[in-house]
Amino acid sequence: MIKNFIKIAWRNLLKNKGFTTINIVGLSLGIGCFVMISLYVTDELSYDKFHENAHRTYRIDSDVIFGGTELSMAVTSDPMGETIKNDYPEVESYVRFYNSNGSKLIRKGNTFINEDAVTHVDSTLFKIFSFPVIVGDPHTALVEPNSVVLTETAAERYFGSPELALGQMLETDDNNETLYEVTAVIEDIPKNSHFNFDFFFSMHNVNYGFGNFLSHNFHTYVLLREGTDYQAFNRNFREVINKYLVPQAAQFMQIDNIEEFEASGNKLEYSLFPLTDIHLYSSRDIELGVNGNIQYVYIFSGIALFILLIACINFMNLSTAKSSGRAKEVGVRKVLGSERKSLIWQFLTESSLIAYISIFVGLFFVWLTLGWFNGISGKELEFSSLLRTKFLAFLVLLPLVVGVIAGTYPAFFLSSFTPIKVLKGKLSMGPKKNTLRNFLVVFQFATSVILIIGTIVIYKQINHIQSANLGFDKDQVLVVSNAGIAGSARETLKNEIEQMVGVKSASFAGYLPVSSSSRSDTSFSTETVMTESNGFNMQHWRIDYDYIETIGMEIIAGRNFSREFGADSTAIILNETAVKLAGFEDPIGKKIYTTDENANTITRTVIGVVKNFNYESLRENVAGLSFVLGNSSWETAYRLDTSNIAGLLNTIENKYKAAVPNMPFQYTFLDTAFDNMYRQERRVGRVALSFAVLAIIIACLGLFGLVTYVAEQRTKEIGVRKVLGASIFNIVRMLSTDFVKLVALSFVIATPLAWWFMSNWLQDFAYRITLSWWIFFVTGLIALAIALITLSFQAIRAAVANPVNSLRSE
Amino acid sequence: MANIILSLHEASRTVNSGSNKVTILDDINLQVEEGEFISLMGPSGSGKSTLLNCIGMLDAFTDGEYAFLGQSVHRMKEKDRSKLYKEYIGFVFQAYHLIDELKVYENIETPLLYKGVKASERKAMVADMLDRFGVVGKKDLFPQQLSGGQQQLVGIMRALIGSPKLILADEPTGNLNSKQSTEIMELFAELNKEGATIIQATHSENNAAYGSRIVNLLDGKIVSQ
Repeated sequence: MIKNFIKIAWRNLLKNKGFTTINIVGLSLGIGCFVMISLYVTDELSYDKFHENAHRTYRIDSDVIFGGTELSMAVTSDPMGETIKNDYPEVESYVRFYNSNGSKLIRKGNTFINEDAVTHVDSTLFKIFSFPVIVGDPHTALVEPNSVVLTETAAERYFGSPELALGQMLETDDNNETLYEVTAVIEDIPKNSHFNFDFFFSMHNVNYGFGNFLSHNFHTYVLLREGTDYQAFNRNFREVINKYLVPQAAQFMQIDNIEEFEASGNKLEYSLFPLTDIHLYSSRDIELGVNGNIQYVYIFSGIALFILLIACINFMNLSTAKSSGRAKEVGVRKVLGSERKSLIWQFLTESSLIAYISIFVGLFFVWLTLGWFNGISGKELEFSSLLRTKFLAFLVLLPLVVGVIAGTYPAFFLSSFTPIKVLKGKLSMGPKKNTLRNFLVVFQFATSVILIIGTIVIYKQINHIQSANLGFDKDQVLVVSNAGIAGSARETLKNEIEQMVGVKSASFAGYLPVSSSSRSDTSFSTETVMTESNGFNMQHWRIDYDYIETIGMEIIAGRNFSREFGADSTAIILNETAVKLAGFEDPIGKKIYTTDENANTITRTVIGVVKNFNYESLRENVAGLSFVLGNSSWETAYRLDTSNIAGLLNTIENKYKAAVPNMPFQYTFLDTAFDNMYRQERRVGRVALSFAVLAIIIACLGLFGLVTYVAEQRTKEIGVRKVLGASIFNIVRMLSTDFVKLVALSFVIATPLAWWFMSNWLQDFAYRITLSWWIFFVTGLIALAIALITLSFQAIRAAVANPVNSLRSE
Repeated sequence: MANIILSLHEASRTVNSGSNKVTILDDINLQVEEGEFISLMGPSGSGKSTLLNCIGMLDAFTDGEYAFLGQSVHRMKEKDRSKLYKEYIGFVFQAYHLIDELKVYENIETPLLYKGVKASERKAMVADMLDRFGVVGKKDLFPQQLSGGQQQLVGIMRALIGSPKLILADEPTGNLNSKQSTEIMELFAELNKEGATIIQATHSENNAAYGSRIVNLLDGKIVSQ
């Protein structure tokens, strides 16, 4: 029986080539898109799960509110791991990562290469994380100072192979040429890990004032014993705070316990965060890498599902629209003794067959476009991962599910015909109201319209961010790294380049208003003794005399630092938010206090107020910030004024190369660094755009098929009308009006939904566009125009046909 | 006395057309014995086709009694009724109603599929049938590749393949020319001689003459038999 079903299904497909093509193209686009997104989502969900102990590994997070500044960090203090391991038996082990020094210069032959993927770790790394070792002993690898573990890639780059690397010395720029011995080589860290390092240096070589509970600079991961409830464990941190942190804090603050601290609206909290949740659910300050976002996983999954549904709807609509063609067969089969059940199976076989053909075509689309998709989504998905057992099962089942979703309604619809009516030719296929079909068309177009509106809003928001008044001028600012260059040489280079044509000004600028730059957070108070009520935290940047001019900031009260004022070494410039935090009516000349490393009080006099500028993502409001004179010479910023950027850049590079031949010339432009802050939004925008286009293509394909059949069914009517004197325009209008009404209705339904979705999305941004009416209006016009073009293509063809032909066929 | 295949007692069929109740068949009394070849005659709209459809259980009487092989059809559920006609009745249509996507061979085979006959048996039965009507050479053609007469021949073979007790033919020669008509009618007569019970609806006196009994219908009533 099934053989018979497949045979007749196959012949039917061949017979109706147009119908089959539309169905297969639509379904394969839908399925291809669904498979692609499945790859993406599976990858996103797989992060860090490859660690054997993933289910009981946690990161210690810190949440601090102090003086109106709120910090939620992915780091904690250096003694925290050791402390909870000693005090609580549930903690089996811990490991710390320290990479506050940023990149390292590593010698290869005669030159130094700048390596970003470097960190210092404890020797317990391999107890907690599962990294397969190629050579060396993981248990002893990082125990001794001056040891380093490399990944295979790094080993190959510097020594040729893992085996050759073992036991070799690696020279770095730490503390003037520290040598490290390669004690082990591990396999490269999988892409689906939330951190990615190539060099793991011993923690012993970190130059840090260890034992400080109040500075949070270490990414710390703990391994809890099997069966421990981490949320219950979190309650222990209060005890830790009272026992260890309060005594240290009491040295410069008058508090006796955490409750007193909290009573004034401050907060200090530690908590464990599950390792496998980090990639999708954690977006804290100082993450080890760029994380994903569960929201986008949901959004993409939703979009994939909707596109698949739109494609299934095409199948449903086309199948029922051309039901008159199959009606006779249904009648005859019933007379010959077929039960309804068997007819339903027959039609389901047919839809599944189409789905199976479509998945092959769809996989071909995926294979063609995966590289492009990787480009816009920032992923490295591989086609071969589809061949894993889990995915293969999915690929076999998917067409079955699609076949059933798309085929059920047509199957029940077609099999319901009563033979006597069909065989007598009484089955009315005329302009009967088809509510469900109309509903499905509306659904398709409403979804498409929502996707288009969403895309436009995302693009507008990204543009808005890029052209927003940031409070500084990000264009034509070149930032050059001075790593590996001696202090005096930095000064000379800066001064020399400043004299060049096309360079307006130059400044040491270690702190920059892009989130990838350095940060320094310090506590201040408005009186000499800090209490919970007069203290507040703000950014504390060391700049030089030319910084404000070079970055293009604006002083709105008082003055900038000046070489003519000798006392500026104790002066401070605040931003508008900091003035508010301090509570100054007239800030100029006021004094504020802070402490140095040795707990000595330092007094600063406010000399100016800088206009608020955005130094973090525009998702956030501008927080408090202050400038003092000081050295931050690890980077130099040059404001350029030239039309020949490339030429000037080349000249500057040569200057650097001449001064320090072995060092790599590393630079970035401020606007590029700024754009990188919104890379994820742009990716989402691009992905959303391509899906919106795909959705509308599939929906139009369906519309095209529908109008083709309607025109076919009404061929005779069109002939008669033409003979009676109808113009081509009359006919086209007659065929299109109903569909245009449906598209208009979809627009009416989609608009409020899209408005709601996108308002929610925009809530994430402190600086956002308003949703103006024209976005919706333009989208409506686009949808209508595309639908009209699709419709008129077939409608005109039907309308210009010679009526003699259509009437003769009777 | 021969076995009675079916009997109708005061059977009626009415339809609601808007607010009017239209009677299509009115108090039909009819008995059909095994081996009979009945011709239903009457002008267009007299109810021939409806009567045939009701007998064939594609349609149902709205009133009266209908017994088929001693079972009361009018009391049966839809499902049992379809089981009954699947087993005992073969249909032949004016417009042949072959499935366009199936070859001759497959068209004839279809009723056996629905009866659940095994593949090897099906093959033998269809081969016998093709052989009997001398159309073995046409078994792989599609219906459109045959003449009208040949298509109707396939239609008849399809009706016969399940060895039905009763063959219902609704204007079987309506779409055929006179030569083809004669051939088909002679075939029916031959089948009848071999023992098949046949009821045909027809306009044509010539065709009706092939039957053993003529039943005349007018406005839904039997006027003579």
